[in-house]
Amino acid sequence: MTDVAVPEADMLALVGYRFPGGRYKIEHWENWLLTDCTGAEPPADDLVHPIALFHVPILGSGITITKLFELGRAAGAGSVGLESYDWEYLAPLREDVEYRIEGGIVSVERHTTDTGQVYDALAFTIELFDDDDGVVARITNRWRFRR
Amino acid sequence: MNTLDALQVGDAVPPWTMADVDPARMRTMAAILRDPYPVHWDRSANTARGYAGRVINQGPLNLGYIVNMLQAWAGRGSVRRLQVSFGRPVLDGETVTAEATVTAIDVVDGERRATCEVRLMRADEVVVNGTAEVALS
Repeated sequence: MTDVAVPEADMLALVGYRFPGGRYKIEHWENWLLTDCTGAEPPADDLVHPIALFHVPILGSGITITKLFELGRAAGAGSVGLESYDWEYLAPLREDVEYRIEGGIVSVERHTTDTGQVYDALAFTIELFDDDDGVVARITNRWRFRR
Repeated sequence: MNTLDALQVGDAVPPWTMADVDPARMRTMAAILRDPYPVHWDRSANTARGYAGRVINQGPLNLGYIVNMLQAWAGRGSVRRLQVSFGRPVLDGETVTAEATVTAIDVVDGERRATCEVRLMRADEVVVNGTAEVALS
């Protein structure tokens, strides 16, 4: 029998947890560096590189990667992995536009692999809104916390 | 007529290669993301996972190579949706290539779009795979 230090009930109780919410504006320097990290040419207009939908929703919703690790009760380096992303772009993201951002944890599932490794798959959904309260982007990320 | 006008299901998207996954870019990325996870910048952090002396590329950067391929093909601002799953980690110094195949062409909200099967390859190994919706205009 696998000894799992994190009770499944504690993890399931996270479903419905809402992030504080907040606002985020992507500045040119940040978009430039982000784009450069991908190996693409520097941006020649105000369009934000689409991979901004990783950190902008998280930071803009008032949470951090560190806090997400704490909520998922990560055991340390190497204990967290990516499962999947589902990112929707209802409008292009632009530099110097302040977005309102809200989200929270939408599901937690405990799994056991064929080799007996226990992990929790934690998913969170975050939406970005413009000034007219229209949704401009929506993400659902699923992370794996190994026990 | 441009190549997107003549696009057909089954067509391949021109691939995009990251020839040398750069640990310096991982460090910059970690700062942008405010990501304290040392697996991306501390070579001593990955020994237990079997990657001693190596650093692990961020998942968003792996996805970024797929996005770069799509935008080089269909234009900046063309990506409408990305749904991907992650396999084994990509490490510093490795070469990976983004590839895609068109699986459907539809009109959505008055916009002509291609659905593509996308993947990031390390030699013959798929390390990221999924689907993308891209506007064709």
